[in-house]
Amino acid sequence: MDYRKIGEDIVKKAIKGGADEAEAVIEHIKEFNVSVRKGDVETLKKSVSKGLGLRVFINKQLGFSYTSDLSPESLEETVKKTVELARITEAKPWQGLPDFGPQPLAELALHDPELATVSDEKKIGIAREVERIALAQDKRITNSEGGFFSDAERIAGLFNSKGISYTLQETRCSFGAYVIAGEGDNMQGGGWSSSKRYFKELEPVEQVAKTAAQRAVEMLGARPVETKKVPVVFDRYAAPAFWMGVLSALNGDAAFRKTTFMSDMLKKQVASPLVTIHDDPTRPRFVASGPFDGEGNVTRKNTILEKGVLKMFFYDSQTARKAGVKVNTIARRGGYKSGPSAGFICVIVENGEEDPASLLKDLKEGLLVTSMRGTGTDVTTGAFSVGCSGFWILDGAKAFPVDGVTLGGTTLDLLKNIDKLANDLDLRGSLNSPSFRVTEITVGGKKT
Amino acid sequence: MDKVVRYHTINRRSFLKKGALSGALMISFPVWKCLAARDPEALLASDPAALSILDKEDLRKLLEVCLSRGGEFAEIYFERTVSNSISLDEEKISAATRGLDMGVGFRVLQGEKTGYAFSDDLDLAKLKEAAETAALIASGQTTEKPKNFTPLSPPQYYQVKVSPDTIASKAKADLLIKANAVARVFDKRITQVGVSFSDISKKIMIANSEGLYVEDTQTLSRLGVNCAALEGSNRSMGYESKAGTYGFEHFDLSLAEDFGRKAAEMAIRMLPAEDAPAGEFPVVIAAGFGGIFFHEAIGHSLEADGIRKKTSCFHDKLGQPIASEVVTLADDGTYKGAWGAVNVDDEGSTGQNTILIDKGICSAFLQDRLNAKLMKMKQTGNGRRQSYQHYPIPRMTNTYLHPGESLPEDIVKSVDTGLYIAKIGGGNVQPTTGRFVFSVTEGYLIEAGKVTRPLKGIMLMGSGQEVLKNITMVGNDLLVIGGGSCGKDGQSKPVGFGNPTLKVAKITVGGKKA
Ligand SMILES: [Zn+2]
Repeated sequence: MDYRKIGEDIVKKAIKGGADEAEAVIEHIKEFNVSVRKGDVETLKKSVSKGLGLRVFINKQLGFSYTSDLSPESLEETVKKTVELARITEAKPWQGLPDFGPQPLAELALHDPELATVSDEKKIGIAREVERIALAQDKRITNSEGGFFSDAERIAGLFNSKGISYTLQETRCSFGAYVIAGEGDNMQGGGWSSSKRYFKELEPVEQVAKTAAQRAVEMLGARPVETKKVPVVFDRYAAPAFWMGVLSALNGDAAFRKTTFMSDMLKKQVASPLVTIHDDPTRPRFVASGPFDGEGNVTRKNTILEKGVLKMFFYDSQTARKAGVKVNTIARRGGYKSGPSAGFICVIVENGEEDPASLLKDLKEGLLVTSMRGTGTDVTTGAFSVGCSGFWILDGAKAFPVDGVTLGGTTLDLLKNIDKLANDLDLRGSLNSPSFRVTEITVGGKKT
Repeated sequence: MDKVVRYHTINRRSFLKKGALSGALMISFPVWKCLAARDPEALLASDPAALSILDKEDLRKLLEVCLSRGGEFAEIYFERTVSNSISLDEEKISAATRGLDMGVGFRVLQGEKTGYAFSDDLDLAKLKEAAETAALIASGQTTEKPKNFTPLSPPQYYQVKVSPDTIASKAKADLLIKANAVARVFDKRITQVGVSFSDISKKIMIANSEGLYVEDTQTLSRLGVNCAALEGSNRSMGYESKAGTYGFEHFDLSLAEDFGRKAAEMAIRMLPAEDAPAGEFPVVIAAGFGGIFFHEAIGHSLEADGIRKKTSCFHDKLGQPIASEVVTLADDGTYKGAWGAVNVDDEGSTGQNTILIDKGICSAFLQDRLNAKLMKMKQTGNGRRQSYQHYPIPRMTNTYLHPGESLPEDIVKSVDTGLYIAKIGGGNVQPTTGRFVFSVTEGYLIEAGKVTRPLKGIMLMGSGQEVLKNITMVGNDLLVIGGGSCGKDGQSKPVGFGNPTLKVAKITVGGKKA
């Protein structure tokens, strides 16, 4: 199918049908998924799917609809319905397409032409191998949820009545395993995976398998501790969940409405001076990169926090217009079934200077968090509470694994009390952070 | 995320955070994007493609293709879903959306193996291609032939007189305007009000090689109101919602008025909330939202996939005591009008009321076809899938605790120092360890047997094995509610839950005050 033609045509049809402005998003995704358990293929799924989302504005009224049926009749119907929908809603002066038109796009090399040549047998083999190696790592590994391999090739297009006509072809592949250590009431699961744009860049199977196995075995015998206040280290793989909560509080529209505890914090010191955060989706070949955002704005590097000072809230073009701010808008989009909304695309909490071991070294007693069960931050009140697991630290070393404990505090206190930031950043996804330490958090456990 | 996360999540309130980012580990409400199509039945009838797939001869041929490589069982799942949503924000009807999802999924089973493929193109050649792909899970000659179809007319557990899809947008908009008006005037400290009405009409057809043929139309409706309040530097949220397999006749202006007021009341009540304590406390959970607690603490751990693979901490507990004697827990797909009700599940098995825990004894697992067959047990109507793009897996429907004998006020009176949990926002569980957490959106301190001050930042954490034994009192005031969406293996599904007021003798509370 000629998606560019479909996209440009439907935008024109919407304008002809009465819309002042129109925008279409098209997706075509080809996917492969295999899961293997105890050496046998358990599920094999292959699919091609597609869909189109249409957003129209009439007198600054908004209508949106989507369809998985791209037949001419269905598209005709979609235009008609979407225009009708816009007429149901009420005008808001800031509603409409972004002010920018077409801009030159960076070539980010997000498509691996080789992926299409990798055979199903080879992919199944990787899923089988990663599970086999993980199971063989340690006698205490008793069971498996399986190994998997999945990949997707996606064609995405964004077209609007301001002349934007972008298409993007991208690939992604990943594999991993999840195994279980222990028995009966003392079982612990652990998993790991690798996800890349290019098949050749996937991490070695053995390395992923070993990490999965280690994450299960090291948690055997995990137990709660007594309730007390101690220094807490978030390792680099637990840290992203914490930052997700912090970033959720930086929605520009929520700040404008004063429904987030960060509302009045722009240009203020909200975190330790050690912390600098960027949104940077412009790295070539990286799994979380993209040349344009959910509204067709070219992506760029933005500074969110600089030395602990809050530099920006997240706006899409409509909320920016409403708040009367001139910023680089960043619009996320969850696919063709939804419209754009403000947010980040690829966040990097920049490295500090400390060796990761030094975060634990001088602790008499503390908690090392390796997994968080949520983000912890209440965006409204700024209260912080979350369940977590990890290790109890005594005299600078891991003493025993901990599970079933909670962390409680205030997000702003946690941010300000970051006293050490490591240099162990490992870029793996849309939110990346080095390990960091907070001087004191209430750990909730067994007794009061 | 590079971490392989095996948590199951549930979240009742992500719709509140309009425009905010969704949490990494939380699955949010399905984003319902759709239109007020005036007459969906007419739309269906006028869609020749949708009708051709219902041709039984084509279906039989496609099932033959599915079985052509030696598969033991084949199934075709057709879906056509129309979703509508209309919302009010900043005193205006701000968005009206419509969505159409349509496609056909093909599943082939052989032993423990599942082959799956789907097509959103209803052209017979494309469907055949997808059937061939699903068939590839087996490798050999045809051994099974599809049997002749025996149509099943499913029981009716949905309460739908007036399909919400046939209702003019104006009538829905009136509900939103009413709720907004009431909430706005309730108190000057109410600064934001958001209201939305969403509905889904999902027509499904399931045909399998054992001769099953069933059609069903699932209708879901939901009205939600949320309010934000601000006073000085204190911020709070309040919300109220009604959700079920309901027709539009379940929603009227007086309900909207009531919800507008209740959402505003909650926001105002929570304004002065203080930091929650940390440590172990007795906790009283109010009727309704406590169902999330059972969903996480035990429900997921009793799903047959984890049981069969022995990856659930409850895999060897059938017939054994796993909870205190006051606990009788049901998963009930037949609960009329409930959000998680199913006339038939997504593999054509009729909805059932399954007692999972009978007076403390583990009495059943949640079964789908594949696991029931492998475990030589009965299906329980819990084979559910998000859409034609997914294969069914064991899932909960409406999970609720049976009522007991205690009066709710006596339960509160029995606690000297503890917490009273009125509303729960969401939670997650790791079935292997049974460790679960859930976050509380409305909670209070109990002092000397009385509910006193509001608290913020309450997180409850425990393990299913421990906490079920610590349930010491169960009230007589069962309330089943809906609106939640449960995430598992990347599939999200509406689930209902419920409970009478109950007391947990001790559970770990994560707060700020040590
Ligand atoms: Zn769930």
